[in-house]
Amino acid sequence: MSSRSEPFWLLLPGLLVLILAFFWPVGELLVTSFFTAPQAGAPPAGTRASAGLANYAKFFADSYYLGVAERTFRLSAITTFFTFLLGFPLAYIMARAGPRLRFWLIVLTVVPLMTSVVVRTFGWLVILGRGGLLSKVLEWTGLSASPIGLMHTETGIVVAMVQVLLPFMALTIMGVIAGIDPKVEEAARTMGAGFFGVMRTVIVPLSLPGIVAGSLLTFALSISSFITPTLVGGVRLPMMAGGIFSHITGSLDWNFAAAMSMLLLLATLAVIVPYAMLLKRRGA
Amino acid sequence: MRTLLLCGMAAAVAFSTPTLAQQELVINSFGGSYEKLHRKLVITPFEKKYNVKVKVVTAYSSATLAQLRAQRTNPQYDVAHFSGGLEAVAAKEKLLGPIKPSELTNYKDMYPFAVAGIEQGRGPVYSVAVIGLLYNTKSVKKPPTSWQDLKRPDLRGRILITDAASNTYGMLGMLMMNRAAGGTMDNIGPGLAFVKGLLPHATLISKSPEIQQNFAQGNAWIAAYAQDYAFTLTKAGLPVKFIVPKEGAAFAPITINLVAGRKNRDLAVKFIDFSIRAEASRGWAIGLRYSPTNKAAKLPADVASQVVYGPAAVKKLVAFDALKIGKERPKWNEAWKRAIAK
Repeated sequence: MSSRSEPFWLLLPGLLVLILAFFWPVGELLVTSFFTAPQAGAPPAGTRASAGLANYAKFFADSYYLGVAERTFRLSAITTFFTFLLGFPLAYIMARAGPRLRFWLIVLTVVPLMTSVVVRTFGWLVILGRGGLLSKVLEWTGLSASPIGLMHTETGIVVAMVQVLLPFMALTIMGVIAGIDPKVEEAARTMGAGFFGVMRTVIVPLSLPGIVAGSLLTFALSISSFITPTLVGGVRLPMMAGGIFSHITGSLDWNFAAAMSMLLLLATLAVIVPYAMLLKRRGA
Repeated sequence: MRTLLLCGMAAAVAFSTPTLAQQELVINSFGGSYEKLHRKLVITPFEKKYNVKVKVVTAYSSATLAQLRAQRTNPQYDVAHFSGGLEAVAAKEKLLGPIKPSELTNYKDMYPFAVAGIEQGRGPVYSVAVIGLLYNTKSVKKPPTSWQDLKRPDLRGRILITDAASNTYGMLGMLMMNRAAGGTMDNIGPGLAFVKGLLPHATLISKSPEIQQNFAQGNAWIAAYAQDYAFTLTKAGLPVKFIVPKEGAAFAPITINLVAGRKNRDLAVKFIDFSIRAEASRGWAIGLRYSPTNKAAKLPADVASQVVYGPAAVKKLVAFDALKIGKERPKWNEAWKRAIAK
């Protein structure tokens, strides 16, 4: 085996899995999205009857679906912002902490990731529901007169999503900050910069690649998120992934669901690809 | 060392071959208290009687139908339970197989309506749910008598509406409200307007346990749902009563169907036969107040008064054409989602 073809053979198994499990199904989905069934709900779903951009046209022409997309992107942007606000300080503390504290902080951050997101979301249902923990605290402190909850609200969705996605943001940024030599911070301090001055002028600019990576990851995960927005938001606050699911199992209009899936994939790629190209240009 | 490893691997392979395994039947059930009773009345006794393993997938009817469509060329279910008339859609799409009357030993005991379509693939109806109004007798001073009573000012903020897109009971409730508001199956506008009017004062839910949760928390006093669920709530200690509103209550047959194209058809037909026997029919009525479809099921008087008993009583319910539901459902889902979206 020549050393030139070795990388290819090493990559082959992974490449095969990627093709079979990702590219082929997504390709099928792409093709399905360009067809419409002869009559909505008629068998078999996903039938290749008439070709065209009808499904995409339907999505963009309808204020309902545009509203679903708007809600998805808006809440994801808000989620990403708050995840950053909470994740950055956490990442800095984790990066600069002593070995023992860092160990426990990492464990505390990673352990939720090992729990199924369904279980974590159900935990939120209990806390955010009317009569739940949050409701009791609000009533007890007098901030609310009657049992109130954040269930079935956009705020509730953001709260739950931030908790679910925090580990991704925090660990990404932590990795970058850990790579910043503490001596650089000390140097800035000796030059007279206060704590926040150091943050603003040294840490944030140097950790920007990590911040951007973490934010893009959080945003991409957030827009395609299904379980948390569906369980916490309920049926009156539909988001993209929930809408796709509803079309597959409820309306049985797989062609349209495929179109929605493609649009979601495009949105994710539109966020990731420019970043990847930028990194390549920088020679990272 | 190497021979030991090879022997170990051979042994592992030998023990994993299915020759020693039991025959397996794959079915769907509806989760929660329903599935619990399902196991007690049918699944576990069947496993014992025929020494087979029954694998239960918890999936509501719409999700099961979607799965059967996806698995058309290689179905993963042997028996499918459907509510809301979806069996008519599945049978039309040839996803379900026909059963001959002679194959069911309990055929002669069934009411004619319950076995009318088995030769076209529409499985026997093994229990009937009735969709009407549930209300909390302690909190609601004046009992409701009509679907229009949902609009009553004293009930504002305490109404539960079930999502019609993901839940067939919710869909039937919506159709009944539509009927009471003057609409038809071809025009659900009045029904949607009715629901839209209720939305500011209502909570929207999609799964039955959420009804119990909301009633228990005092969040809801009235809901459009099934008669059997009223019983589940009373068993949980809540003072809930079911009424058939004056405009009528919806007839919601629950069917058990043979999935087409599977190898163990004989076992599946045996399971279907076992599911419709009088003992099971009686058990569903006593356990969860589902209305029986087997003539030979004799119910104690107090249970009989809480279900729809006998063919004459069943005739008084409002039945919606299952095939029409199948055809219109996607349109209704779209319109519904728009009506309820904030």
